[in-house]
Amino acid sequence: MNLWLLAPELSLFFTAVVVLLLGLASSRRGIVIGVSLLGVLVSFVFAAFLWSGTPQATFNGMLSVDQFAVFFKFIVLAALVLVILASADYDYKVEQVRAEYFTLILISAVGLMLLSSARELITIYVSLEMSSISLYVLAGFLRDRRSSEAGLKYLLLGSVASATLLYGMSFVYGLTGKTELGQIASAIQSLSLSGLLDNPALLLGLVLVAGGFGFKISSFPFQMWVPDVYEGAPTPITGYLSVASKAAGFAAVMRIFYDAFGAPSWLGQNWGLLFAGLSIATMTVGNIVATAQANIKRMMAYSSIAQAGYIMVGLAAVSMGQSVAPAARSALAFFLASYTLTNMGAFVAIIAFSNKTNSDLIVDYSGMGRRAPLLALGLTLCLVSLLGLPPTAGLIAKVYIFNAAVQQGLLWLVIVAVLNTVVSAYYYLRVVKLMWLGNPVSEEPVPSSAALRTALFLACAGILLLGIVPDLLVRLSETAGHSLL
Amino acid sequence: MLTQFGQIALFILVIVLFISALPIAAFIFRLIGLAPHKPTQVKTSTYESGMETVGKSWIQFNVRYYTYALIFVALDVTAILLYTWAVDLKSLGAAGLGVALVFIAILAVGYLYTWKKKFLEWK
Amino acid sequence: MNIPYLTLILFLPVAGAIVVALLPKPEQKTIRSVALVFTLLSFFLSIGVFLGFDRSSAAGTMQFEEKLSWLPAIGSAYHLGVDGISLVMMILTTLIGVLTILVSWKVTSRPREYFIWLLVLETSILGVFTSVDLIMFFIFWEVELVPMYFLISIWGTGRKEYSALKYVIYTITGSALMLAGILTLYFSVGTMDMAVIAQTDLSKATTIIPLAGIFVLLLIGFAIKLPVFPLHTWLPDAHTDAPTAVSVVLAGVLLKMGGYGMIRFNVGFFPSVAEDAAPILMALAVVNVLYGAAITLRQTDLKRLIAYSSVSHMGLVLLGVFALTPVSLTGATLQMFNHGVVTGLLFAMVGLVYDKTHNRNLGKLGGLARQMPIVVVVFSIAGLASLGLPGTSGFAAEFLVFVGSFTSTTVTSARVLTLLSAFGIVLTAGYILWMLQRVFYGPPKEEYNRVPDADRVEMLCIFSFVAVIGLIGIYPAILTNVIQVGTRSLTVLVGAP
Repeated sequence: MNLWLLAPELSLFFTAVVVLLLGLASSRRGIVIGVSLLGVLVSFVFAAFLWSGTPQATFNGMLSVDQFAVFFKFIVLAALVLVILASADYDYKVEQVRAEYFTLILISAVGLMLLSSARELITIYVSLEMSSISLYVLAGFLRDRRSSEAGLKYLLLGSVASATLLYGMSFVYGLTGKTELGQIASAIQSLSLSGLLDNPALLLGLVLVAGGFGFKISSFPFQMWVPDVYEGAPTPITGYLSVASKAAGFAAVMRIFYDAFGAPSWLGQNWGLLFAGLSIATMTVGNIVATAQANIKRMMAYSSIAQAGYIMVGLAAVSMGQSVAPAARSALAFFLASYTLTNMGAFVAIIAFSNKTNSDLIVDYSGMGRRAPLLALGLTLCLVSLLGLPPTAGLIAKVYIFNAAVQQGLLWLVIVAVLNTVVSAYYYLRVVKLMWLGNPVSEEPVPSSAALRTALFLACAGILLLGIVPDLLVRLSETAGHSLL
Repeated sequence: MLTQFGQIALFILVIVLFISALPIAAFIFRLIGLAPHKPTQVKTSTYESGMETVGKSWIQFNVRYYTYALIFVALDVTAILLYTWAVDLKSLGAAGLGVALVFIAILAVGYLYTWKKKFLEWK
Repeated sequence: MNIPYLTLILFLPVAGAIVVALLPKPEQKTIRSVALVFTLLSFFLSIGVFLGFDRSSAAGTMQFEEKLSWLPAIGSAYHLGVDGISLVMMILTTLIGVLTILVSWKVTSRPREYFIWLLVLETSILGVFTSVDLIMFFIFWEVELVPMYFLISIWGTGRKEYSALKYVIYTITGSALMLAGILTLYFSVGTMDMAVIAQTDLSKATTIIPLAGIFVLLLIGFAIKLPVFPLHTWLPDAHTDAPTAVSVVLAGVLLKMGGYGMIRFNVGFFPSVAEDAAPILMALAVVNVLYGAAITLRQTDLKRLIAYSSVSHMGLVLLGVFALTPVSLTGATLQMFNHGVVTGLLFAMVGLVYDKTHNRNLGKLGGLARQMPIVVVVFSIAGLASLGLPGTSGFAAEFLVFVGSFTSTTVTSARVLTLLSAFGIVLTAGYILWMLQRVFYGPPKEEYNRVPDADRVEMLCIFSFVAVIGLIGIYPAILTNVIQVGTRSLTVLVGAP
């Protein structure tokens, strides 16, 4: 038991407690945000130290501290920095309980960071709930009608998903008698089955676990909650939900399915096909419904569903490749990193716009290119990256992940995915078009605070950097992909 | 594998039979006169050994009850955990003491918070 | 030390765009001068590369190569190089790049953004022609969409937003399939280096899907761009609604990306499949030529007319490419260059006429010969070059295509198909001459009495076009020498005589 290996989580949790106590004395914005950012920085430094260590399992195999986990900790921390900065301009709506707001964000981040390390069913469940419960509260934080609806919906559906997950886990445990993923894998192998239909309990467990996580990563058919929650929740939280919680969710899915259900190879191919099918349904539903949205937060919600579909292409590739090809795992990690920057950037810009216009309707973005050229440029860059055009990170991520899928013989899946990209061009470019070609409703410029501008700048710089010299991050994600315990 | 599930199914069947047998048996006993039937006012009341409700039962509880309940549950859990810890205090040693202190400290933050936010005052 | 010529050529326009973007509150005059200087520099450098290109038979195919590690995870590198074919395309692009700046000399609406996009566009097209790496090729192919979208939808006319989106959706569909094709290709051969793939005999490689499948995936993307009937419907809309300079680029260079891709990928990588598919594609080429020309005859909008004529002319490129002989491939490449210059000029002329008369309707125009003599002369020269009059570049190119495909032995029905498409020349003569007559001749009209002729900048621009047309017409060997260096390696694989 080496607490040092938990340093990033512990320091972040400590920060959360400090912020909460600070809030009792004074809830001045500068102090609260400053301390939060400082904590994130400390946690980041610890994580960076862990990066150079050797991969190892700790706490009796409950947690694994490998580069894969640390990579996702970086992603969560990056999202955290952006969401804290983005909240700086938004928290006037939650002024009375500002400290609590940031505390909850930090605690949910601790949960997500643990989730990316967890390699034991109960730890996975506990860390998942740790983040989810904070997020349920945050989604309903504004206490107006929409936000309350969002919070309640998220809570109810989230609980159903947790129950499903637990039910699935209980089947897996019942079958194997183990909760640690590696031991589950060897227990399954010792059953010497020849197909999934030989063992209905395993089939049921697999499907239920996939269903429980399907909710977290907003895969079809568990995507129903996404638009309502994204629309109602405070915008920074929406951004956070769409990136950090999704990234960690994918990390956990990957760990469970790859570690526990990775062998024998027919099993891998079975769940690979499951995810391939879900991926097609998810991205098609997301993209097609997104074209019909009038509210930009709803549009981004469906867009994030579609993006989850692309990521699941990578998941399917992981299942097919197994230990031979870590490319798919690296591609997944890279895609999530690039997606985190891009989607968070887009939400930062949306916050800036809606602070001024008090509206999330797409038509109100008309002529923003003239009212706030820099913000509009930032949003354009993010949307272009989501669409996957050069010179942005989005393109490299897509090429990387499709590359891995083709390598595993999933050409048909890639063709469906790239055709989906074409559909997505319609709704992403519609916003871009309105911003630059539409007539402004008024000539008033749109102000934005320094914190928001910093956040948007960081996101955009990251998108461009990864788009032009992707090798920096590709190397990291390769290490991460190789290191998976 | 399927036979194991079969055992479970058999078990469920027994449960269903047993449960449905109870009311049927009561009905039959009543029919053949084995069970006496002497209702009184007390026997037919809603809660035979409880109190009648006063006013409507569909009222909103003060939200304060929930915070009290939460704090109380936390206290309960602390007590249970500390009890087991205290039983084996000797072998757990200094490290165990440290862990327990951290645990209490975290909970103390919660109490401090509720206290400062005046949740403990009943206005 | 080696000067990275290609990198300089490639990124000078984008450097110009950055300079324009950073200028504090620049006037339109400064912006356009900066743009002109950077495109000129790029052009002169590419002329330098052209002169330094080794034409001897011993020379390697790829020259001026530059290679840096970029994305080793998926086998991709920053790898530039030119062979005979891409060199010609590069010259064409830098030339058209300079001329489009001149064509846009009087753009005053949001000039800064306009010139930035124009310069970015040039870099992206140059990237397509100079990339040796598949992923680089793909990325530049995609970059081109962004500036095109904005240029058409902001500075265009008519149903500009519809046309711009249509263009983008068509192209993305094609490039999406192309990406799938590129990735399968990569896993079949294990390299992203086009030069290496061209040397590999793919019919012996183990591929993930049948070779013909990869061929089709790649072909669709290029066929949309060229465009090949029935995927051509984006072209008239985009051309008609784009601003003049963008029409020039679109017709002048963008379509060539399709033809270039076909030569490099479909013919270069899959000679055996290309041979099997050639009859179908040549038949499509005939449809392109005849259908395109027939539709052109019916147009009443001057710009739309020129746009449809492109469909017809690009049919000849397709014919030349898939006749698979050295002569026809040379002819097809020359035809791409020729069409770039001639149709570029035609669009520039249409822009001039429209600027001065504010009318593009053939029924309303007429008798302009008297008011604008210079425009008439240049327009006629362009028209004649377009129909392939001897002495113009059009003649050299079309003649080579016809001779090459007529003598093709690889494709059985080549002779019939060539004769059929030669009939397209007659139709071309029909619509060009008829158009000239309706616009410039006939009784002069009252409302155009005060219409000015071309001014100095416009003359500089259009006469440069004319000079190139004449030069290639009189001495085509200046280009064919170079092109042959490129086609040599292709036709070895095809196994033609």
